[in-house]
Amino acid sequence: MKTHIIALCLIAFAPSSSSAALKVVTTTEGLASLAREVGGDKVEVASLSRGTQDPHFVEANPNLAVKLRQADLLVDVGLDLEVGWLAPLVNQSRNPNIQPTGSRRLVASNFVRVRDVPTGPVDRSMGDLHAAGNPHFISDPRAAEAVADGMAAKLAQIDPGNKPYYEQRVVDFKRRLGDDLVRWKTVLEPLRGRKIVARHQTMSYFLAWTGLVAAGFLEPKPGITPPPSHLAEIVRIVQAQGVKAILVENYYDTRSADVVARHTGAKVVLIPGDVGGVPQADSYEHYIDALVKLISDAVR
Amino acid sequence: MHWLIVASLLAANPDPAAPSEGATPEEKKKLEEEIAKELGAQPQPTAPGQPAGATGRPSPPQADPGQLGGSPFARLLLLPDISAVGSAALAWNRLDVEALSPRGDPFAPAHTLQPIFQELELGVQAVVDPYARADVFLAFSEEGAEVEEAYLTTLGLPFWFQVRAGKLFAPFGRLNQQHPHTFDFVDRPLALARLLSVESLGGPGLDVAWLAPTPWFAELHLGYQALKPGFEESSRNAGVARLAQFFDVGEASTLGVGVSAARMDEGSGAWRDLLGGDLYLKIRSPRSRSYLALQGEVVARRLSGLTVAEAEGEEPAVDPNGTEWGGYVQAVWRQSSFFAYGARYERAPGAAGGPENRVSALATWLPSEFQRLRLQVSYDRLPGGQDGLEALLHVEFSIGAHGAHPF
Repeated sequence: MKTHIIALCLIAFAPSSSSAALKVVTTTEGLASLAREVGGDKVEVASLSRGTQDPHFVEANPNLAVKLRQADLLVDVGLDLEVGWLAPLVNQSRNPNIQPTGSRRLVASNFVRVRDVPTGPVDRSMGDLHAAGNPHFISDPRAAEAVADGMAAKLAQIDPGNKPYYEQRVVDFKRRLGDDLVRWKTVLEPLRGRKIVARHQTMSYFLAWTGLVAAGFLEPKPGITPPPSHLAEIVRIVQAQGVKAILVENYYDTRSADVVARHTGAKVVLIPGDVGGVPQADSYEHYIDALVKLISDAVR
Repeated sequence: MHWLIVASLLAANPDPAAPSEGATPEEKKKLEEEIAKELGAQPQPTAPGQPAGATGRPSPPQADPGQLGGSPFARLLLLPDISAVGSAALAWNRLDVEALSPRGDPFAPAHTLQPIFQELELGVQAVVDPYARADVFLAFSEEGAEVEEAYLTTLGLPFWFQVRAGKLFAPFGRLNQQHPHTFDFVDRPLALARLLSVESLGGPGLDVAWLAPTPWFAELHLGYQALKPGFEESSRNAGVARLAQFFDVGEASTLGVGVSAARMDEGSGAWRDLLGGDLYLKIRSPRSRSYLALQGEVVARRLSGLTVAEAEGEEPAVDPNGTEWGGYVQAVWRQSSFFAYGARYERAPGAAGGPENRVSALATWLPSEFQRLRLQVSYDRLPGGQDGLEALLHVEFSIGAHGAHPF
């Protein structure tokens, strides 16, 4: 009797091999939104982190390893963004195919022209910098297109029967994004060259795309909290260059930004760090919509 | 019983979808069996779904123009992750801890402000091959150098098994499996030092861990190791078992519950049995760096079949066939990325019998992710009524590529 009960329990938790949807697990909501765009109803997508979370400091909660156990594909950002939490989860998952070089692992940054790659010697006196380059590319739609292409190719490789479906979905997604890009450009073009101050080097890709310019960063070095001397310097820069907006992802503390705002009259703009970072950013296009609206309103 | 095997096979099928290039899984399996027969071998059960040459790192979409002379960094790419974690303390104790309250962690002679170099941990970690990874931790201290842990971990055994083999900390309790540089408090709770081991309870052997096919994390460990318990110099063969489970409690909290047991052969028909329970609750809003972590462990030890003469060697002094118990509860409030505060209460069997109680307060400053400065002040009350304050100022740093720690 006992063995029957155990067997029934095991069957209850067994993966139903008849369910056709591929289980795609991503580390961030931005990658999850792209996987949904490309995979449509052929995939079941889950993200390990939330868009409201600082992706550098996600908890390595073992229940996330359970999500990875039966993943058909793991998509991570790479460039050491998830270095503090992903490896133990992958190890606990027992899923050999999603290991760093496994056949069901897709590193999204492999498809992106990476910015801020250090060219000289690197050590931690430079702060907690990303030694392999800047992983915060999700705010550049051109990077998102490249990642979507990579996902479509990978999904087609895993699930060759639906190759035309994925290819069509990525074409549709890129066409919609193309229309959006025209729309966003009309808003952003007149603002080219306007200056902002950012908290962390999370905005490099967005700035490169929009032509906005970072006059300075609240952090003197990545991950290092600004001392008063640095904030005083930022206040001077903001005043001298007429900076109107201080951009801070809404998972960061705003005390330093508030100080600079108080001394200069510049506005602190809380921006979503990723898809899902604010309620209206419920898809990739809506996330960029929200970013473009918040930032263009502030610098205009 | 057959039901169980069939169901297990169903549950563990890691690759339900994805027929490759039009072949059904049955056709693929048949071909695999045919090839295996031709080669005179059994089909390989491990690493399913991993086609040869698949690297998961597709080359960028643009054409690769090649590179003259290949990569000059190849040797560097193949280097394991190397890291060093160093720790030193300034200790002050009112009591003569060595005689009255035996422990392994930093302490000073009575009424002396004592600088102490605690440990340098050298970590060397890498994937060995497609089937396993290796983690090596060497500890250098004033007493010399030792291999703290050095073990192989399988990456893709079927049925959600994972085996670690080599020299490893025993899967008993929560704190015992962690390296001291991940402890919130500076020192190990007295109960763990005296009932488990003065250092982490560990040694050569293997640990087989099975991840249950439940929607929450439930991991069952069964280990067989040679362990040095308490303050003993020689090791005994031991069987260890642990069930660890984690539950998400709402959006912001995770609860960990563990039970552990171990049985060690003391020779001549004598046994040492250990039983432990641990709880861990972490409350952290997803959008915040602040959190509250509550943690507690209870450990009981029973010696049976020892003669009075054998028991004399035991420290703390024990009843040859008695049961001793102890434990701790602690709360840590990580206020921001930079500051954390904690409080801990402990109960441990005293050196001369009877319960020893200690309370500690902790303040931590973390200038960055890679170093921390801690001040721990404790009040220790011995069974006879003797008591005294103790203080530890502790600095710790980490350099190099050090793997992330499990939750």
